[in-house]
Amino acid sequence: MRNLLNFLLKYNYWFLFILLEVASFVLLFRFNHYQGSTFFTSSNQLAGKVYKVSGGISSYFYLKSANEDLLDRNMLLERQLNTLQKELINHKVDSMFVDSLISKPLAEYFVFKANVINNSIIKVDNYITLDKGSADGIRSEMGVLNGSGVVGIVYMVSPHYSLVLSMLNSKSSISCKIVGSNYFGYLKWDGGNSKYAFLKDLPRHAQFNLGDTVVTSGYSTVFPAGVMVGTIDDMADSRDGLSYSLKVRLAADFGKLSDVRVISKKNQSEQKTLEDITKKQQ
Amino acid sequence: MIGRYLIRIVWFVVFVLIQVLILNNMHIGGYATPFLYTYFILKLNSGISRNELMLWAFAIGLVIDIFSNTPGMNAATAVFLAFARPSILRLFSPRDGFEDSIPSFKTMGVSSFMKYVVTLVILHHSVLLSIEYFSFFNLSVLGLKIVASSLLTVLCIASIEGIKK
Repeated sequence: MRNLLNFLLKYNYWFLFILLEVASFVLLFRFNHYQGSTFFTSSNQLAGKVYKVSGGISSYFYLKSANEDLLDRNMLLERQLNTLQKELINHKVDSMFVDSLISKPLAEYFVFKANVINNSIIKVDNYITLDKGSADGIRSEMGVLNGSGVVGIVYMVSPHYSLVLSMLNSKSSISCKIVGSNYFGYLKWDGGNSKYAFLKDLPRHAQFNLGDTVVTSGYSTVFPAGVMVGTIDDMADSRDGLSYSLKVRLAADFGKLSDVRVISKKNQSEQKTLEDITKKQQ
Repeated sequence: MIGRYLIRIVWFVVFVLIQVLILNNMHIGGYATPFLYTYFILKLNSGISRNELMLWAFAIGLVIDIFSNTPGMNAATAVFLAFARPSILRLFSPRDGFEDSIPSFKTMGVSSFMKYVVTLVILHHSVLLSIEYFSFFNLSVLGLKIVASSLLTVLCIASIEGIKK
């Protein structure tokens, strides 16, 4: 008995070692499977504050290029709007109707402004931290966009911060279609380069050209249809040879995100509930 | 005694901030990210008990995990590093001296200190990156990342150590 006790005392560090390792792995696996508490992520109060300060400083470095991008985009949209208005009036459409069209696209959606305070692009599972949380109206499973395209989906929220599942995450999967043909597939990221993702499960008979635009399909409740995602850069067969796997050049530059918009459909919960009920019954 | 702990806590905060605000955003060539917080564990004095060492390592790993959204990953690896440290330190430290000292160029000599650092850094990075890449397995990318990141970390540690001397 005494020998056993001595033995246990001598090697007590083994117990602590195993205890700490088990605790770590519980955290690791729990986070990967459940949307658990936000305490162990960068959306907790302390980490959020630190990142808010550092994000506030580093966002100044991107101001110039962000400004230029916005100006370019603004000019392009203004030109398009003018041409379209002229075209509509040429067809003798009532100008009130034209005005009502302009405010229509985002009328079904709530839009929240948010700033990126932490972001990574090199890990296997990348997350983005935003400086707005449930107190500002953000809920999980809302879509996140920036000026040029889709960024990700809100994953967890704490009162003042939220954690976004970046498109550059092995768990991210967004339903997308090709403009013009309406064939749809799922956009996944395979690690590696932050500029490219892969559009999978696209049927073999789908027709498209390299350089075609990929947009969100609007089938999920998260994003409205037709939000820019990227352009087709290259094509290949999937591993089983039954579908295409397209290499998509992402429109959003994840290396310099700063201002983003969080959007949510006004009747998102209704569609979600309906879909969940159907899933349960099957 | 309390002064020593205060200094240690200050270093703890400094290393966490350096790691999460600067080094985590660094990826030279898309492969190399230094994990300088290992230096905090490597530099704790040699007389520290294994249990205390592991608790410190768990704490710094967990805080870094919280900031970089990888709960458990750095904590598990740091505890492993702390667990392996006393044996490796004994292996490379000079035979005669066994008193309570902080491992450094001065106390251990340049070559044995570098051997100690290189061994533990490679061990740490191999475990950490293997856990991260557990889901999609690409051996050549993983190997390249381990080598590149270890090189960068060792370089950082050696230069800090050189300047301090």
